[in-house]
Amino acid sequence: MTDHDRTGGPGWPRRPRRRGQGELEAQVLAALSRAPGPVTAAWVQERIEGELAYTTVMTILSRLHAKQAVTRERAGRSFVWRAASDEAGLAALRMRRVLDGQDNREAVLASFVTGLTQDDERLLRDLLSDVAEEPED
Amino acid sequence: MGVFVFLPLVLPLTALPIARLAEQHLHPRTATRLLTLVGTVLAVCSTLCLGLLMVVGTAQLPGNPLPDSWSDPEVRAAVPFDVVAGKAAIGALGAVAVSCTATCLRHGRVRRDARLALAGLPESPVAVLPDGRAYAYALPGTSGRTGKPDRIVVSTGMLDSLEPRERWALIAHERAHLTAHHHRYLLAAQLAARANPLLRPLRAAVDYSAERWADEEAAQEVGDRRVTARAVGKAALVSRGTPGSALAGFAAPGPVPRRVAALLEPVPPSRRWPPTWTAAGLALWIAAVGTAASALSSANAAVALVLVLHAATPL
Repeated sequence: MTDHDRTGGPGWPRRPRRRGQGELEAQVLAALSRAPGPVTAAWVQERIEGELAYTTVMTILSRLHAKQAVTRERAGRSFVWRAASDEAGLAALRMRRVLDGQDNREAVLASFVTGLTQDDERLLRDLLSDVAEEPED
Repeated sequence: MGVFVFLPLVLPLTALPIARLAEQHLHPRTATRLLTLVGTVLAVCSTLCLGLLMVVGTAQLPGNPLPDSWSDPEVRAAVPFDVVAGKAAIGALGAVAVSCTATCLRHGRVRRDARLALAGLPESPVAVLPDGRAYAYALPGTSGRTGKPDRIVVSTGMLDSLEPRERWALIAHERAHLTAHHHRYLLAAQLAARANPLLRPLRAAVDYSAERWADEEAAQEVGDRRVTARAVGKAALVSRGTPGSALAGFAAPGPVPRRVAALLEPVPPSRRWPPTWTAAGLALWIAAVGTAASALSSANAAVALVLVLHAATPL
């Protein structure tokens, strides 16, 4: 048996396209925000495209919980979940973590502005007050 | 030969005056390109020189893979303090390699993480994130078959603090970064500064010039320099957080006030070079000749060492 047979042969079920962490989190959050109220993990699992293991859904929910993107309450022996932010909010949380990373700010992203010293700030306020004094267009 | 083989290591000192002059007198586009080129050439020569010093100084140490003839007495005549310099060069080269690799890895990681953070959002050139903290970034995409498009990331905190036309200037500024691939200049300058710490002023100058370049493009698109100046100034005031330096009282004005002040001046002449018989023109010519001389002597010293080694190689 060659490598080609093993990976491409007809006997092997085609694996669904592997989804990235961010994409999965976004899908779970999207499902949660469509929910009528607090729902269980099983409810979420049913509404996600493609087959996702229950444990995977639980992992993603816990991760979202750690990011404060979802809230949970105990209901009987399990939890019910509720979205605390939408997809854009989740993206904002993730982006903030990237920006807060050590040295990340200067690494690649060209930032619109950089830090100001106190003198810079005073100078800047003077400059801006000059701009504002003259009539607007 | 003699001491001049160390030239490529110290000539980057000339980067400081060159950076100052280019920053002040050239159009930001020209300054960014010129300074990046100068920085890259000087960094490559400096690293090459380190490599050659290491070879000459250490080829006869027991247990190394280099041909012994690479450090024959004739070769060593080229390098004062051969063994000391050679051993020091090992450490320096190691440090350069580690720090350049770390820079490249971090570059890749931040870009990937930032893209992942935006996964799940609708594909649009501008991603607006609901965040009270004010920030705006240009996130370069990836090329290739599975390439991702360039994106601009801006927080609602930033947008809320700006008037509609100032927002336009902000977006135009970020778009200018992406269209002109400014991240490549920034990375090249950053790597050069890692290769030789004397090139740090050049890196700061490239950072500043790239921002000025994007400011000028934005001002042109919006058609109003004052609106662009206000956008930069207001954005800096709402997103101020990390003080730039502990010695603020003695520091020259930071980049942001200089950018705002430059925008309140008339459009910089877009021709490449100011006329020779002005102060700026003369200063720039001197800087250009100095840079060319630095780069040439760097290259000359490096090539001379290569030739000596080549002659000493048994074939």
